[in-house]
Amino acid sequence: MEQKDLREWEARCIQEEPPACKAGCPLGVDARGFVLAVKDGNPVGARAILEKNMPLAGIVARMCEAPCEQYCLRAICGGSIAIGALECLCVEAVPPRGKPLRLPPRPKKVAVIGAGPSSLIVAFDLAKKGYPVSLFHLQDGPGSWLRNIPETILPGEVLAEELERLARLGVLYRRVEALDESPWAEGDFDAFYIGQDDRLAEDLLVGLGLPDVVTFSLGKSGWFTGGLSAEDDEYRFITDVSQGREAAVSIDRFLQGASLTAARVALRHGKTDLYTPLENIQFVERLVPRAANYTEDEAKREAARCLDCQCLECVKSCVYLKEFGAYPKTYARRVYNNSAIVKGSHSANKFINSCSLCGQCEIICPNDFSMADLCLDARRTMVKEDRMPGSAHWFALEEMRSARTEAAVVRHAHGRQSSSSLFFPGCQLAGIRPDQTLRLYEYLQELEPATGLWLDCCGAPGHWAGEEKEFAVIIRDLEQIWLDMGEPLLLVACSTCLKMFREFLPRITLASVWTVLAERPPKSAKPGVTKVLSDPCTSRHDQKTQAAVRTLLEAIGQPLSPLKNSGELTECCGFGGLMESANPDLAKKVTKARVEQTDREMLTYCAMCRDQLARTGKPVSHVLDLLFADTSHGATEPSVTLSARRINRRQLKNTVLESYAVGQSIPAAQWEGLALHFEDSVSAMLEERRILEDDIRKVLYQTKQEGSSLVHGEDGSRIASAKLGQVTFWVQYKEDNDLFTIQRCWSHRMTVVGGTV
Amino acid sequence: MKLSFLPKDMDWTCELCRQKLQPGFVELHYAGNVFKVELPVCPQCSRVLIPEELAVGRILEVEQLLEDK
Repeated sequence: MEQKDLREWEARCIQEEPPACKAGCPLGVDARGFVLAVKDGNPVGARAILEKNMPLAGIVARMCEAPCEQYCLRAICGGSIAIGALECLCVEAVPPRGKPLRLPPRPKKVAVIGAGPSSLIVAFDLAKKGYPVSLFHLQDGPGSWLRNIPETILPGEVLAEELERLARLGVLYRRVEALDESPWAEGDFDAFYIGQDDRLAEDLLVGLGLPDVVTFSLGKSGWFTGGLSAEDDEYRFITDVSQGREAAVSIDRFLQGASLTAARVALRHGKTDLYTPLENIQFVERLVPRAANYTEDEAKREAARCLDCQCLECVKSCVYLKEFGAYPKTYARRVYNNSAIVKGSHSANKFINSCSLCGQCEIICPNDFSMADLCLDARRTMVKEDRMPGSAHWFALEEMRSARTEAAVVRHAHGRQSSSSLFFPGCQLAGIRPDQTLRLYEYLQELEPATGLWLDCCGAPGHWAGEEKEFAVIIRDLEQIWLDMGEPLLLVACSTCLKMFREFLPRITLASVWTVLAERPPKSAKPGVTKVLSDPCTSRHDQKTQAAVRTLLEAIGQPLSPLKNSGELTECCGFGGLMESANPDLAKKVTKARVEQTDREMLTYCAMCRDQLARTGKPVSHVLDLLFADTSHGATEPSVTLSARRINRRQLKNTVLESYAVGQSIPAAQWEGLALHFEDSVSAMLEERRILEDDIRKVLYQTKQEGSSLVHGEDGSRIASAKLGQVTFWVQYKEDNDLFTIQRCWSHRMTVVGGTV
Repeated sequence: MKLSFLPKDMDWTCELCRQKLQPGFVELHYAGNVFKVELPVCPQCSRVLIPEELAVGRILEVEQLLEDK
């Protein structure tokens, strides 16, 4: 990912866009953060938030007309939050945070002519930046019309305190008879601000002209103005303050010789791209204080009405996005940093490899942010740069390679030399439900006798793992097989396979098995109790198949209850994108979250989803359980183990081969004949550690051949080990009459070299 | 730093050599890194025992750290 790509990714996620209140504040005060701090009973934190953007908060918080409130999204459900009143209460209750920090002194001097609100802000902002500021005021002292505000609103004491703070920042007050051009005549200043919210001398006003509406610069170089509001302006005070701030930005730029306009952020007037859903918001009326001002408790209650405007739409629906504690914009940065890092830990590897690539976020996001695209691209880069963790996808890739070799077979129907259709069940259906795979094939042949059978894997694990080279070879190979079979119509049972074929082999003519079954449901079909249908995540964009399954279920009389995240919004079962391979603990959470969305029995048309969801103990059926009574499995039947899936695929291939001609099956390897026995706890250990019975048999066979076990001195237990591919497996066992009772199994990827006593 | 991972139970004999395993030094290689550790070794054929606790504990931890390097 290049930096410009990162910028594009970041720009898509709008979570960091300001809420409307902040976008509506001319000073950019984080009103949402402020209100939430009040709600949480943290007035000190609340004042700190104010002071971050609000100059002279003691005055501004009391005087601001709160234009933010007109943009507050709570307005439609009980009235906008009383942000202005809460700010007032906060500055009354909490003293200022000591002396504001000032940058080191700078040589260029600024004259501020006038002492109204806009002038005070210019003086404050520029003094903080280190400029020596002289503020020229009339006889009655700095503050101008602020001195006439009733005590109940702005006490004279507060005004005096804030002016004293300004003086401590280094602002020099200079009393003059008239606010005229005399400071200019001194020849000592590099920039001038004319604050028109004070009683300026006529001769100064004449010939000033109109300022630029963005920079507040005047025609004369180094001259700026502001404080232009009419006295009856609804937002007079805050508008003048805002103009003072904008002028101060311009003066700073002018004194540094920088452009006044480059990369300048215009006032937003409440406009923001932040998306905040407003459905299901309860009406709560604005709290009217019993007395003139809110009490602390009333303030908390009023603040609690804040909607805390956030987008986070994708995060709310995705266990994976929640798990890593942030949102796509920061995730894009993590992915970028992960690839940019040269030395040190690639701490986002697990994050990148944990996404199920299911695509739900892209559907939910108002800007179509796709974590799948982001993560898949990052995985491909990791593979290309040879820094993909070896263990991340190892097991799934081995499964794929096994399904494509020892379990793969393609044949025309018995006695036929060609196929008009070719049934492609997919490797998971073949591994998890081999009996139903054959039963479905039988039925498809009843419908169309010239239907061949193709047991294979579509290569999805290679694609998901970012193994582009290996995947490209698989795709070419699959295409060649299809061509060799005479380009038949491919009848695909698995949503993932369908997606892969559609995307990478568009030449192949395809149909979903479910559309075929919807047109001609088997007569043996029997409905069960009411269930909820969980669409596999890879069917997200396949509305035709989703609709066909529903048509089929309706035709057989299967009652369905709705599931919230279905169809286009469906969720992953925890296997997709190799999440389960890279982050098994997260996959368990994803699966649990999915089954907890309903109290009813679940139903799906993906074998992997069925077994994944059923692993939680939830009753889950496969649609095939309803269609063919003679091969129906119970909804509470335990999931098929990893070991059994591998063996099932091989046996299915042999069954198919034997059905063509006796003796055609592949002879079993010698290691396959070893008889194993283990307790359930050991079975669970194998599953958890992803150790297959095949692996154990191979290790035991090799060790037995070599006579190279380790034998325990007391109980006669033995330990065998062998390196199979990238992994070294260890088996602790006892042998009795050719029966191996397995006690423990473990493995590691480190290689053992040498050994000296 | 001495990395010793000798199990409490050292009562293992190499079937091939009929020798009891003894503390010895072994090199473990992963992702271009080499660690010299003390483990039970057959004094004759150098066969090594990697105990289960080590494989699923420290070795797994280090493998994952190195994979993210």
